[in-house]
Amino acid sequence: MHTIVAIKQVPDTTHVRIDPETGTLIREGVPAVINPYDRHALEMAIRLKERFGGTVTVLTMGPPKAAEALVECVEQGADRAILLSDRKFGGADTLATAYVIAHAIAAIQVEDPADLLLFGKQAIDGDTAQVGPGVATRLAVPLITYAMRIESLDPATRTAIIHRRIEQGIEVLETTLPALLTVEKEIATIARAPLPNLVRAAHYRPETWDATTPVPFDPARIGIKGSATIVSKAFTPPRKEPGERMSVAESGLTRVVGQALQRLVTAGVLSSAPATAPRDESNA
Amino acid sequence: MTPNHRCDAIVVGAGPAGVAAAITMAKGGLKVCLIERGRLPGAKNLFGGVLYPHALAEVIPDYAERHPPFERPVTEQGYWLLSPDSVVRIMHKSVHYKTAPTGAYTALRARFDAWFAEQAVQAGVLLITKTTVTEVVRDARGRALGVATDRPEGLVQAPILVIAEGVNNLLTQSLGLAKGDLPPRYVALSVKEVLALPAAEIEARFGLAGADEGVAIDIFGDATLGLPGTAFIYTDAKAISIGVGLLLEELIVHNLKPYEILARFKAHPVVRPYLAGATVLEYGAHLIPEQGYDRMPDLVGDGVLIAGDAAAMVDAVHREGSNLAMTAGRMAGETALEAHRRGDFSAAFLRAYRTKLEESFVLKDLKQYRRMTDFLDSTPHVIGTYVDFMNEAALRYFTAQGMPKREMEGEILGLLRGRRSFFGIAHDMMKLLRGLRG
Repeated sequence: MHTIVAIKQVPDTTHVRIDPETGTLIREGVPAVINPYDRHALEMAIRLKERFGGTVTVLTMGPPKAAEALVECVEQGADRAILLSDRKFGGADTLATAYVIAHAIAAIQVEDPADLLLFGKQAIDGDTAQVGPGVATRLAVPLITYAMRIESLDPATRTAIIHRRIEQGIEVLETTLPALLTVEKEIATIARAPLPNLVRAAHYRPETWDATTPVPFDPARIGIKGSATIVSKAFTPPRKEPGERMSVAESGLTRVVGQALQRLVTAGVLSSAPATAPRDESNA
Repeated sequence: MTPNHRCDAIVVGAGPAGVAAAITMAKGGLKVCLIERGRLPGAKNLFGGVLYPHALAEVIPDYAERHPPFERPVTEQGYWLLSPDSVVRIMHKSVHYKTAPTGAYTALRARFDAWFAEQAVQAGVLLITKTTVTEVVRDARGRALGVATDRPEGLVQAPILVIAEGVNNLLTQSLGLAKGDLPPRYVALSVKEVLALPAAEIEARFGLAGADEGVAIDIFGDATLGLPGTAFIYTDAKAISIGVGLLLEELIVHNLKPYEILARFKAHPVVRPYLAGATVLEYGAHLIPEQGYDRMPDLVGDGVLIAGDAAAMVDAVHREGSNLAMTAGRMAGETALEAHRRGDFSAAFLRAYRTKLEESFVLKDLKQYRRMTDFLDSTPHVIGTYVDFMNEAALRYFTAQGMPKREMEGEILGLLRGRRSFFGIAHDMMKLLRGLRG
């Protein structure tokens, strides 16, 4: 059983602040973490490895610093980690990113075909949820988004039954393998990594792939060049002024409610004020 | 014990003591496993902010070429004696601080400790973070065999352990080397804020010529409500470190909250202008073991050496600690190397560590100030009394009011005698002297 997990290193949003002047995120000094959903995808892959044997490969596209995130994946139990890092990859939107990840996964599969591809349902910095589906399309494998449980998986028959979250409830799907799943956190709980994994990770260096070696990427489809997104303008919405305040202690409840209703009528939210003013409940 | 990992030496805690021990042993050819509970070395660590690199130089002779993340060299230092509305400053600034081979630097531990631990990794130390040592595993005769951690398959085996676990020395206690938790009269609680300010602004406010100058100020008196304790203001590269520290017992007896004392100190009319417009970058609190020489834990067990805060290696008089810890860590490492050469890890052999420390400044200084805590304990209001007197005396002395100087001098003397009898003053001075001389 070979599972490939794609991860992203994101700023720890609990530490992110917004520059009040420019309206952009202050990324400087903010610790980077593995995108939380991706951690659960990795954990699912490790559970499958524990059950069926095999290997887990992790890959990410990012700056050299993203190697930290891959080492953390090895601590959790990944066997192989690949960092796609090149200035030419920089500035990519989801279109270019999906191409690079798909192309890299195809290259990995030449030697070691995968049974399952796992992605987090979305990254907490961009929230697009587009890269996983984009990769599935390019690799022409079945796609199941918002997967929350693997009910069964059979490497021999190459089938799996997957539960996915939809607005009305839960959808249960049967799929052939390989398939690509983008996962919710419930897919697997994160276990505390055993110490020997940490010892291995301390010496582990991820493989680094650039835009040309060991696999050549199409220069027209990567980085800014390969991106279709145009940011024409970024702005911060103006701060909302606080609304009018009326004091129940000063004016009494009946009066305040009456005034509030009148405001709603004036604003056109209500067609007319109720015929009788509401009674003061505290006196009822 | 069926270990999941074997090495020649285990170090618990990647602070100054632990990292110094790990580097010393790795350079001596041992396979060292350094275990740290924080996410990164330094993540759990805090100090006021002055680091003395003489001890660092003995662990990493070429440390300067390795670009340690110091904030500023300290080129001016001294004391502020703060009354509720005034201050007497005793500051020393000298060009000699710039040329001294081993000076002092301000530093932030989150950055410094990460750098220091990176030097250990480069020396070949296996650094395991995010992992807490839960127990020292011992054989039937009480000899240490290794440690258990809070990880699955988490047993690590080594014939010798250096425990540099910090002030909350649970492992040291579990081995019977420290006798239970410290009583509150021997532990200080320090709270600290790091306030961001542009470098040029810091230099203008503190009268510094540039990034190669810095100030370290220790403050007594009103900063701690006249209670025994100190406050501090240190200049970092682009921030000011400011904090207060008091003995836990004072906080309990007077029902004080440390962050309120810090907020009060920051609002003091003398202090406030230095901080105007600065934004809080981080805040933290830490315990400081100040029980002194006579109440230190035993430093040695069978297969075990204790170093740093875990062994109360803090000189509160001179606000030194990390240099004592590094020196002790290095000596623990040297002793472990000798033990490996001899194949003898018994407490009897490891006593050589204690002897080395007794011969160094570490235990000599701690021995000299062994009575200091008791001095402050027995005369808790002495600092407030004299600091207030000095401020009032200074005000009289520097104010021309058409009064003959002899009368003014008499008035100043009267101020002193109003606070303390001659007998009382003599008594305080004798006690202070005894505290300083050991």
